[in-house]
Amino acid sequence: MARTKERSIDPAAQKMLKRANEEDIMTTWDRYEAMQPQCGFGELGICCRICNMGPCRIDPFGEGPQTGVCGASADTIVARNLARMIAAGAAAHSDHGRDVAHALLMAAQGKAKAYQIKDEEKLKVLAIEYGIKLEGRKKEEIAEELAEKVLSEFGQQHGELRMALRAPKKRVELWRKLGILPRGVDREIVEIMHRTHMGVGNDYRNILMHGLRTALSDGWGGSMIATELSDVLFGSPRPIRGTSNLGVLREDEVNVVVHGHEPTLSDVVVAASQDPELLELARKNGAKGINLAGICCTSNEILMRHGIPVAGNFLQQELALITGAVEVMMVDVQCLMPALADTAGCFHTKLITTSPKCKFPQVTHIQFEEDKAYQIAKEILKLAVENFPNRKKNKVQIPREEENLVAGFTAESVFNFLGGRFRATYRPLNDAIITGRLRGAAGVVGCNNPNICHDYGHIEMTKELIKNDVLVVATGCSAIASAKAGLLQPEAALKYAGKGLQEICETVGIPPVLHVGSCVDNSRILVTLTNVVNEGGLGEDISDLPAAGAAPEWMSEKAISIGFYFVASGVFTIFGTPQPVLGSKNVTRFMCEELEDIVGGKYAFEPDPIKAAHLMIDHINKKRQALKLKPVMYEEVAKKEGELVKA
Amino acid sequence: MHYVIIGNCAAGINAVEAIRDIDKKSEITVISEENYPGYCRCLISEYLAGEREENQLLYREEDFYEKNNVSLSLGEKVVQVEPKSKRIVTKSGKKISYDRLLIATGARPKGLGIPGEDKEGVFGFRTLDDAKKIKELAENRGKVLVFGGGLIGLKASYALKKRGLDVEVIVKSPRILSQVTDERAAQMMGSWLIENGIDIRTGSAPIDILGDKRAKGARLDNGEKVTGDIVIIGKGVVCNKELAEDSGIRIHWGIIANDYLETNLSDIYAAGDVAETKDIILGEKTTNALWTAATEQGKVAGENMTGRKRIYPGSLAANSIEFFDLPLISVGHVRVRDNGYEEFFRLNEQDCIYKKLVIKENRLVGVVLLNAIENAGVYTALIRRGVDISKVKDILLENYFDYALVKDLLEKKEGFRESISITGDVVKTA
Amino acid sequence: MKRIFIDIDKCLGCRSCELACAVEYSVSKDLLKAIQEDPLPKPRTDVQQDAKRGSFPLQCRHCEEPYCIDACISGAIGKDPETGLVVSNEEKCVGCWMCVMVCPWGVIRPAQVSIGDKKKKVALSCDLCRDRETPACVEACPTGCLYFQEVEEFKKTKA
Repeated sequence: MARTKERSIDPAAQKMLKRANEEDIMTTWDRYEAMQPQCGFGELGICCRICNMGPCRIDPFGEGPQTGVCGASADTIVARNLARMIAAGAAAHSDHGRDVAHALLMAAQGKAKAYQIKDEEKLKVLAIEYGIKLEGRKKEEIAEELAEKVLSEFGQQHGELRMALRAPKKRVELWRKLGILPRGVDREIVEIMHRTHMGVGNDYRNILMHGLRTALSDGWGGSMIATELSDVLFGSPRPIRGTSNLGVLREDEVNVVVHGHEPTLSDVVVAASQDPELLELARKNGAKGINLAGICCTSNEILMRHGIPVAGNFLQQELALITGAVEVMMVDVQCLMPALADTAGCFHTKLITTSPKCKFPQVTHIQFEEDKAYQIAKEILKLAVENFPNRKKNKVQIPREEENLVAGFTAESVFNFLGGRFRATYRPLNDAIITGRLRGAAGVVGCNNPNICHDYGHIEMTKELIKNDVLVVATGCSAIASAKAGLLQPEAALKYAGKGLQEICETVGIPPVLHVGSCVDNSRILVTLTNVVNEGGLGEDISDLPAAGAAPEWMSEKAISIGFYFVASGVFTIFGTPQPVLGSKNVTRFMCEELEDIVGGKYAFEPDPIKAAHLMIDHINKKRQALKLKPVMYEEVAKKEGELVKA
Repeated sequence: MHYVIIGNCAAGINAVEAIRDIDKKSEITVISEENYPGYCRCLISEYLAGEREENQLLYREEDFYEKNNVSLSLGEKVVQVEPKSKRIVTKSGKKISYDRLLIATGARPKGLGIPGEDKEGVFGFRTLDDAKKIKELAENRGKVLVFGGGLIGLKASYALKKRGLDVEVIVKSPRILSQVTDERAAQMMGSWLIENGIDIRTGSAPIDILGDKRAKGARLDNGEKVTGDIVIIGKGVVCNKELAEDSGIRIHWGIIANDYLETNLSDIYAAGDVAETKDIILGEKTTNALWTAATEQGKVAGENMTGRKRIYPGSLAANSIEFFDLPLISVGHVRVRDNGYEEFFRLNEQDCIYKKLVIKENRLVGVVLLNAIENAGVYTALIRRGVDISKVKDILLENYFDYALVKDLLEKKEGFRESISITGDVVKTA
Repeated sequence: MKRIFIDIDKCLGCRSCELACAVEYSVSKDLLKAIQEDPLPKPRTDVQQDAKRGSFPLQCRHCEEPYCIDACISGAIGKDPETGLVVSNEEKCVGCWMCVMVCPWGVIRPAQVSIGDKKKKVALSCDLCRDRETPACVEACPTGCLYFQEVEEFKKTKA
C-alpha cells in the first residue's frame, strides 16, 4: 500500500516504508501528503511576514494587491525572503566552520586532548596562506596562531576573506569590481538581516548582489574554513573503501547511528567506538561489538576519513530507526527532523542530542564539550551498549541492501591519483577535457525531498551525465545516493559511463562519480575548479570551464547558499524544483539570465533530472566551443545513446 | 385516485411526500397501528436516555398531514389485504378501498421463544410505547439484562447505562455486532463498552426467564443464573407480512418487491423494513431494515405509485453508531466470506483507530471505520457506484484520503443522483 | 440558487477560505479569539488536491436529491423547497453520523459545537452563510477564484 515505489527508488527505503505503513508509523512522506495542497503563495515566494503591517500577499494572477502594505513589490518580497534563506544557510555552514576553528584552537592550546593536529602538511600550507611564520615553531604554536587568525575572520569588519583570494585572479578581480568580495563571515550575514528589515532596500538586484556576497562568505569562507581546518584536525581524506545503505546495521552488534554535521563530534565517536573497555562491555551485554554508522553529512565526514559505513541519507533518518535495530541515534546540528523523537519512541532506540544549539523537548541531552570530548563520547556509547539487551529481536528488520563504495577524493587527493605515481598534478585531467576524452565535469550535490521520488533525481541525473562523458563529483546526500546505487565503484564506469570517461576511470582506477565529502566540502569543488583553471588550457576563470552544478532534490536553506556561491563563482547551477522566486518575474530572470552577464554563472530550474542533465551538457558543450576545444572524442556514441533516452 | 399507505414511519411518510410532489389532488390515507404521528423510530433510545422529550421525536412538522392533505388513521392494525376487491381490512373490522396500496408495515421484534418471555418487565425495543414502558420501570433503577448484541440491544443498553443503571448484555455469538460489522471492530467496540461499564457476556443464550409475574432474571444455557429487573430482547426483527398471507402477494422473509418496488400484484407496492428488495452490490434479494433504506424506498415506491417510473437501485447495508464517543461506521459487505475478496486494513490500537476495506474484483464492496469516520460517505459512494478502484487502492486507507483523490472516478455522467460540482458541472456522483 | 464555484486554475491552496469559515462560525467571530475557543470552531469547507495537483475547497453541493436527508434519523436535515438550500437544524441533530456515512462528497463533518453553554455533537455542513450576503470563504479568497453565483452565471464567467 501507499505507493512505496513512488516514494523511493531505493529498495531498502521501500522495505522500511512498507513496514512503517503496516505498523502505522508516520514518515516524512505521509506528512508531506497530508500537507497537500501546499500554499502557492509560499511556493512562489510572494508571502511577506517581515513586519506587523502585514502579513501581505501579492496576487500572482494580477487582480488582487500587487504590492504589500508598505508598497513592496513582488520583486522586493521575493528578494528579501530569498536573501534571508541565503543568510540562514550561510550561517549554518559558517557556524560549523567556527566550531571546527574553535576545536583547533583548543587542541593547539592543549585544552582538548581528544583532538590532535593530524595533517601537519596541510597546516603548514594554510599557515603560509595566512602569513604565519613557520620556522622554529612547533605545530601547536602554528596551529594556535592559525586558529586565532581564522576565528578573527568571523568577526572581521573590513578587508577581504583570505580564502576567497584563492580563486583565479580574474575571478577575484571581478568580485572586487562588483563589490561582492566578502569582508568578514558574520558581517555579511548580519547585513542581510539589516537589509531585509522593513523599510530598508527595495531594489531586488541590490539585495541579491549582497546575497551573492554573503553566499561567497560561506563558500570561500565558513564552509571552506570548516573543510580545511577539519582536514588539519582530523586528517585529509584519501581514497578509501566503505559501505552504504541500511544493510550496514548489524543484527549482532550494538548499532550507533551518528547524524548531523560536525566532525568535532563524530570523529571523536569513531575513536571512542574502538575503546577496549566499551567493547568488553558490549560483549558482556551480548553483542559482538559496536557498529558505528552515519546519516547525512557527519556520516560523510567519518566516511571520508575513516571509512565508517553510511546508513543512509536525509530521507532515511527515520527509516534507520524503523529497522528496530538502533540502540542510540546521537545528533548534533542541522537536517535533524523533530519527528525522530516520535519514531525512536516506537522502538527501544535512545535519541540523544549533544549540541546546546539543538535540543529536542523531552529528549536526553548529553552536552558535548571539546575538553571532555572522548569521555562524553564514551558516555554516550555506553548508553548504547547498555541499551542492547532492550532490543526486541522479533522487531528487528534490517534490509539486506549494503553497497560498496569508494570515497575520500579531495582537491588534493584525487589529483595525486590522476597525476600518476610521480607527482600531483591536474594536467591529466585538463588534458582529458581538452582532448575531448572527457566532455567536462559536473557537481551533483544536495539533499533529498519527498517532493521528488527519493534518490531518483540524483541517480538519473548522475547516470545521464556520466553516460555523456561528464565526470561527476558528488557531495552530501547526493553522494550517499550514488553510493547506494553502486555508482561510487570503479566497476560502475563499465556499466554506466560513456567511453571516454570509462577510459579515464580504467586507467586511473577511479569511479566515474567521485565522492568529495560533506556539504561544507562543496568548498573542495571550488578549490578543484580553481586548480583546473590554474593548470591552464581551459580558460582563465571558473566561468570559462566546461563545468556545471546541480542540486536535483534540494531541501534546505544551506542548499540555496551553496547554489548562490557556485553561481557567484561562475558556475551554471541547476536546482530541481524552483527556489521560491517564481512569484517575481524580474528576480527569476535576474537569477536565470542576467547573472550570467554579471558573474558568469546563473541558475536554471528543472525538476526532471534527465532534462536537467541535458541542460548541463548543453552548457558544457557551449563552454567547450567557446574554448575552441576539440570535439568530444566519443560524441557519436554519446549522441546515439542520448537520443534513445530522449525519445 | 385513492392512495392508501399502511405504515406511518420512514417509508410511509416519504411515500406521502413523493406522491404529493407529483399529485397534489388525489386522496391519500395513511393507516398506522401505533397511536402517534410519524416519529423517528431511531430516536427512541435518545428518549429512553432522557435526552429527547416525546414532543422532540416528530419526524415532520405537526401540521404535516394537514398541509399534505392526508387522512391519518391511528391505532388501526390492518390484518388483511384483499387484492381482488382492492380493499384492506383492519382488526376492528373496518374496510378501506384503495386504488394504489403501499404496504409499509415495518417489522417487529423477534421473540426468543422461551418460557417467561411474557412476564412483566420483558420488552422488545422497537416502538415509542416500548421505550415509555422501559423508561417508567427504569425510574426504579435496578439491573438491566439485554439479550442480543445487535444495534437494538446495544442502543437500549447505552441509553440505560447513561441513566445510571447496571447493564449486562448477553450474546450467543462470540462477539457483539456480529451482523453489523467485522470481527475486529466488534471486538474493539466490545472492549470499549466494557471499559465504560457495560458488562458483556458472549457465548450464552437464555433458556428461561425467571421470576413470578415480574421478570427477576434468567437462566442461561450453561446453567448459570443472572439477575435482572428489566429484560430487553434485541434478537432481530421479523417482517410484519402477515396481512399479505393468503392474498396472493408473494412473500418470503418479507414482502417481495421488484425494481420498481411493485409486488407481484398490480397496484400493490412494498417499502421499508417489511420489503424484500435487492442488495445493491450482489443483486440478491434481501431485507435491509435500515432507516435510510426505508426512506429511499418510500420515495421510490411513492413515485412509482403515481405512474411515473423510477428504478430502485437496491439497498445497501449501512450503519453508523457511536457509544461513549467512539463512532463506528460499517457499509456494505464487511465480513469476508470466500475467495475473490481482498481485505486491507489499518489498525492503531493505541488510538483505537481501525479502518478496513473489502474489495472484490477491483471494486470496493465494504468498509469499516472505527474512530476515523470523516469522509465515510466517499467510500459509500465508491461502493454504490461499483467503480474500478485499482488505481487508487493504495491510498484509500491513508489519513489524507478525501473526495479529490477519487474525483475522476466519481464525477461521471451516469449515476443515480444529480449534483453540481465545484467547477459548475452537472454530475452524478453516486 | 447561488452556489459556491471555483476557477480551479487560480486556487493556490492557501486555505484562507477554511480560516474564514471557521471564524465565521466561531462564537467570537474574531480569529485571535476563535483559536482559543472550546470547542474550536470547524470550517465547513476543506481544501483538497486531486491527482492532477489541482486544488480546490470542497463544501456541501446542495444536491438535487440529497442522500443526507434520506439518512437523517431525526429529520434535522431538510431542503428548502424554494431556495434549494440543504440545511441541518443543529438543535434537532443527534450526532448519529448517518449523513456523514452517506454523503458522496464527504463534506459533512462530525463535530462538537457550543449551543448556549452546553457542548453538543452535531453534523456540520456548509449552508452558504445564509445570514450573509456573500459566503465568508468567497470574500476571503485572495486570488478571487471563488464565486458565489447561479450555475448559468458561473458558466458564463468561466467562458
